[in-house]
Amino acid sequence: MSLEERITEARARLEPLVESIEQPAPDRIDATIPADKLLDVASALIKDGWSYLTTITGLDLGVEAGEMAFLYHFSAGALLVTLRVHVPRSEPIIPSVCGIIPTATLYERELMEMFGVTITGTPNTERLFLPEDWPAGVYPLRKDFDPSQPEIVVQKDAAE
Amino acid sequence: MNNGNGNKIANKFVVPIGPQHPALKEPEHFEFTVDGETVIDATARLGYAHRGIEKTAESRTFVQTLYMMERVCGICSHVHATAFSLCVEKLAEVEAPPRAQAIRVLVAELERIHSHLLWLGVGAHEAGFDALFMYSWRDREVVMDILEALTGNRVNYSANVLGGVKCDVTDAIRDQILTGIDYLEERTHHYYDVVTTDAAFLQRTRGVGTMTKEQAMRLGVVGPTARGSGVEQDLRVDAPYAAYDIFRVNRVVEQGGDLEARFIVRVKELFESYRIIREVLDNLPEGELTARMPRRIKEGEAITRVEAPRGELFYYVRSNGTDMPDRVKVRTPTIPNMASVLHLAIGHQLADVPMILAGIDPCFSCNDRSVRLKSAGGDDVWTWEKLRKYGIDYYND
Repeated sequence: MSLEERITEARARLEPLVESIEQPAPDRIDATIPADKLLDVASALIKDGWSYLTTITGLDLGVEAGEMAFLYHFSAGALLVTLRVHVPRSEPIIPSVCGIIPTATLYERELMEMFGVTITGTPNTERLFLPEDWPAGVYPLRKDFDPSQPEIVVQKDAAE
Repeated sequence: MNNGNGNKIANKFVVPIGPQHPALKEPEHFEFTVDGETVIDATARLGYAHRGIEKTAESRTFVQTLYMMERVCGICSHVHATAFSLCVEKLAEVEAPPRAQAIRVLVAELERIHSHLLWLGVGAHEAGFDALFMYSWRDREVVMDILEALTGNRVNYSANVLGGVKCDVTDAIRDQILTGIDYLEERTHHYYDVVTTDAAFLQRTRGVGTMTKEQAMRLGVVGPTARGSGVEQDLRVDAPYAAYDIFRVNRVVEQGGDLEARFIVRVKELFESYRIIREVLDNLPEGELTARMPRRIKEGEAITRVEAPRGELFYYVRSNGTDMPDRVKVRTPTIPNMASVLHLAIGHQLADVPMILAGIDPCFSCNDRSVRLKSAGGDDVWTWEKLRKYGIDYYND
């Protein structure tokens, strides 16, 4: 399937569900959607194996903007479709996509510990990358994270 | 998963593996729940080698970040640098000259040869076939020498700079590459015979860790792991980057879906790499090696996907108009492939786990791995060596 056919197909799948579709690069399609529409739109994109979830990028747009963005990247051959979900920084909540994409659990666990986002319905909320003794409520990929002042934790031998 | 005293549920036991083990780029911790010999559940804990590279990139310049990104992976460092360079070049609206793009392809394919030969050896070692392991690693030295002659380094070659490459192909290096490739191609024919005909080896690969095309697509696996299951996916073909639009790749796809198919895909890809390298050397464009890059990069975001030896490597770079990136996101191919291991291991014998893990070609480092087998009779610590031997002995009996 050529890139043009992929773009036509992506638009056909997205148009009934989203308000506006942008094309930031020749091989990319972006759609900004509210969090409660995420599952519907994602389902439409992965239907019949047309695309797969490559990863989820988390963005902290900063204290001033007061927003976080979560970018769901779907690969379909040469085309990359990105669903952008913006949530308030003060109360970041997004739904889990694990019900339709089981392998997304690894990406969601990373988002939770790195950005402090609440993901409703995700099957596993354990830490994935950060150590067990990483202080609670400290989210390293947030822009206001102060890397010079992490809480110093004394590592104790597990056997003790 | 259970912990503490909850390990024993009826006749099911949790077998923790790792985190210290050499099978993966990142030391990882797995918990396999077994019922007798059969794996019935699997989960992973990553991050033992988490270095905070994405965060660090936010306080480094684009040039510094390039060299840091090269250190995400010691095996496929060149594709990381290529993906990052391509992102920054897109943002700056600068295009690297044709000769630089061709040299990027050349180094990428040399890197693929070294990575696939390394994996062939490790895969053979896990199956208890150490002669194949030693031969393939001996031959891998040929391509390592070529990489060193070309770039100055055996690993972390730093062939890329933002806007181009810094190494050129001289006549002497060209001859060395062609001689080396001829030798390796002859050896690879031998390896192909071994992985497709050796009965003892096939016992460990044929029908093991089988993943159907539907499963592969649903799990979102990438690279040779996906192509071994009949998924027609190779970014060098689907979305050519650098100079892959000039030097066309033939996609290698196998339908078997088992470990044997993954071995065949990678060995066949070696032949494809040899062909591309010869083609690049015969048709190397003349001209500059670098284009001029601004220090400050225009505001915006760029995404690049490239085909690393292990599959789709994803880079997202966002710039806020300064000389430092605002956000860099990396998704390495091992992550989706790892998710597939957790699904594939279920239903298999514990003795097959080392081979299924090795089958996705996770990046291998050189530490020892310890396995702790918790059983009703108390704790028993297994080394990775012991689990490997257990797997080999299991099939010898």
